Amino acid sequence: MPKPTLITELNAALGPRYVLHRPEELMLYEYDGSALDQATPEVVVVPSSTAEVAAVARIAQAHGLPLVARGAGTGLAGGSIADRGGIVVSLARMDRILSINPQERTAVVQPGVVNVELSERAAPFGLHFAPDPSSQKSSTVGGNAAANAGGPHCLKYGVTTNHVLAATLVLSDGSVVQLGGSAPDAPGYDLLGAVVGSEGTLGIVTELTVRLTANPEDVRTFLAIYDTMDGASSSVAAIIAAGIIPAALEMLVGRGITAVEESVRAGYPAGAAAVLLIELDGLHEELQVQQEQVVALCREHGASEVRVAADPVQRAKLWAGRKGALAACARIAPHYHIQDGVVPRSKLIEVLRQTEEIAARYHLIVVNIFHAGDGNLHPLLLFDMREPGVRARAIAAGEELLRACVAAGGTISGEHGIGLEKRDYIGWMFNADDLSAFADLRAVFDGAGLMNPCKLVPSGSSCADIRMAKGAQRALAAGAWV
Amino acid sequence: MRPYTLHGMNPDLFITPASAEEVAATLRHAARTGAAVVPWGAGLHQHLGHGPARYEIALDMTRLHRVVEYSPPDLVLTVEAGARLGDVQALLAQQSQWLPWNPPRGAEATIGGLLAAGASGPLRLGYGPPRDWTLGMRVALGDGRLVKSGAKVVKNVAGYDAHKLHLGALGTLGVIVEATFKVAPLPETMQTIVLRFREPPPLPALAVLHEPPLAPVSLVAQTGDGRLTEGNDDSGISGSIQNPKSKIQNGWVAVRFAGVRAAVARQLQVAAQRGVELGAIAEVLESSDDVAFWEELADVPAPRNDGSLGLRAGVAPGHMVQLAQLLETTAQRRGWQSFSSCYLGLGLAYSRWWPGPEPAADAIALALAELRAGLQPLGGYAVVEDCPSAMRPTLDIWGPAPGSARLMLALRERWNPSEVLNPGRYVCIKG
Repeated sequence: MPKPTLITELNAALGPRYVLHRPEELMLYEYDGSALDQATPEVVVVPSSTAEVAAVARIAQAHGLPLVARGAGTGLAGGSIADRGGIVVSLARMDRILSINPQERTAVVQPGVVNVELSERAAPFGLHFAPDPSSQKSSTVGGNAAANAGGPHCLKYGVTTNHVLAATLVLSDGSVVQLGGSAPDAPGYDLLGAVVGSEGTLGIVTELTVRLTANPEDVRTFLAIYDTMDGASSSVAAIIAAGIIPAALEMLVGRGITAVEESVRAGYPAGAAAVLLIELDGLHEELQVQQEQVVALCREHGASEVRVAADPVQRAKLWAGRKGALAACARIAPHYHIQDGVVPRSKLIEVLRQTEEIAARYHLIVVNIFHAGDGNLHPLLLFDMREPGVRARAIAAGEELLRACVAAGGTISGEHGIGLEKRDYIGWMFNADDLSAFADLRAVFDGAGLMNPCKLVPSGSSCADIRMAKGAQRALAAGAWV
Repeated sequence: MRPYTLHGMNPDLFITPASAEEVAATLRHAARTGAAVVPWGAGLHQHLGHGPARYEIALDMTRLHRVVEYSPPDLVLTVEAGARLGDVQALLAQQSQWLPWNPPRGAEATIGGLLAAGASGPLRLGYGPPRDWTLGMRVALGDGRLVKSGAKVVKNVAGYDAHKLHLGALGTLGVIVEATFKVAPLPETMQTIVLRFREPPPLPALAVLHEPPLAPVSLVAQTGDGRLTEGNDDSGISGSIQNPKSKIQNGWVAVRFAGVRAAVARQLQVAAQRGVELGAIAEVLESSDDVAFWEELADVPAPRNDGSLGLRAGVAPGHMVQLAQLLETTAQRRGWQSFSSCYLGLGLAYSRWWPGPEPAADAIALALAELRAGLQPLGGYAVVEDCPSAMRPTLDIWGPAPGSARLMLALRERWNPSEVLNPGRYVCIKG
């Protein structure tokens, strides 16, 4: 139970309606999209302005309580779970698009704006917000910035950090700083570059200026169908080697194809060993040339068929299938543990095979639906939590998958973040000196150590003891949410 | 031995480390003894910032010039900081790849120097700044810790993007020893159209040059009444207005397209049409002249020993017109000539003022203050990049401290605690 004085102070700052502390209210904030982690905050606040977030930070500091920012809660690494207790700051009410400047191709938004809504609002100007994580129908721009989210189209257009120009940041001491700006290269260190992707560990972003991207003149979407996984993988390599950077280059392997097709009926060939979802965009002439090349390369590398999306409706369906893949796989098994390793494209085949071998060894189902063009794998381990011991097996298998990615020269996360789930693996990539430099950076912003503590880069003695989120056992008992 | 002279100062010694560990050891030693270190690449951007407050050691990075890893199918390259960008581009070109980056003095300058200088270039409009292509770094911090951030794959969110903090930091947080880049396939062709206006180019109307279907990779307008070749130019840049071959002339707008031939051809045609509608004479350059032309244009910000003041100024791209006007009128009001290379669509301008043969420092300080006062309501800034050396100590090179200066200083205290790296040269100078 939180101290009554804490609630009194928060009530005074925000109004009682926006201070949630009854157990049934807090339950909604126990989890995110990572099915394995769960923990209950002491209190949840729903501020409506930068000033209110700053007031909450001052109260948190006075009470020595952690502050955990939360957007839509779609994170896949436990980043917004209050595993050390404290105050969850939901940015759901700060959901306004403050302005769109079509001439400069920028928008000023509050952090709670839903990703896809920004693109919808920019559409009349022929613009969109390029980062398009699969969660884009619910995830927020603030959350995207915290995680440095990617998405299928970041192959060509870059990840979130390339699209954030400025941010207002509330620090744990309640002060407010402006970082970046619409003027390029203003003097001073690129603090904004460190804040994007910092998973709420440096401060809470309460306003963002983002770059909007011109809609392409033309788009072509294909489905290349393969009898072998290797054919699809080598096609990916061949397309990139030919100097073509598609707008998106996604791979679906094996059982995932069937699950996706059953879910959306978009024409995915159930039963195929692998398919590539390829999208080209740009000027007509460019696409004319590239389409021919891509189709030829796919055939050359074993595609039995290359289908072209006939119209925007079919294209949208194909994408709905891809973006709804995680949910579709609930048809296979009720629980999942998704990984997010990245490997050099040239190692794709090798690591894909390893994912299957590792999953088999742990008696788990693995579905690979992922951003092949980036080498960003998303091995989805599927299981039924009611089976005794399966959770531990899933975690162990996930760990082995990530080790394989790092061994191949890659990373443990391409876009989902480190959060709780991967913080113990960060040492595989960074040594003590590297981590000490990260800790310096964190201390500069958050001297009190209250901003989403022990996430991303565990630092400080208080983080030494964690292995698993508090409350995880309870999650098991309650049945995790998928 | 190279002359490591900087703004009239000479070091006590120079060190040419052969490994990252040696760089770190040098900095550890410097931090212990308090010896001030100035990192050197090719030295082509050492004119930036103030002169160092102290200068004991020249740290020459040019022996660290190896290509550490290059995997063409992965479009990923790792090089040591002392490698020259020109050499790197030549290596990439063998695989029909490149770093879409054409900074001033890009052929000779080193990768580390360019990153530390925050040098971009006209290609930034189409391809983004080097920040977007830098995947990771190894850096020797000011206390001798050798640290890395990022990864050698095109997407990574493990750890903080700490490497971004070294971009444009003039080596005041650490010395970049190695950088990993995402590289791009070379476009099938690149070609440029030059629009010549009799009157000053109508900047507001030029927005049509980057509206669909036009997607130029570079779009630069030359404004003002000054001439780059006036005075005693020893910069090595081939002249402009006296050089009939040069396309860098006042009132000219250069638009560059890249991609497959047919797409470039259509864009050239549309751009010509739009230019002519605005009253310009359009000339499409031979594609064989394209690279040389843009090298010359990219070099405009390079220092010139002709008594002029070189400025870099930025605003939100929509305020470019006001920026160009401020740069010109502030000079004009004083009877000075000016010249600006305006990077349209980016909100960036490289400008030069010629304040006459014996300029008074306080007159220039006043002009700068006036310019900055005009930029302030636009959210813009102006930085002095190049000026007569006698004037440098008296000028406010960087302008007002950023709002987050407190955090910047705190970071420098942690990564460069003894203030041994380029002391006094960058923003937020301690009192």
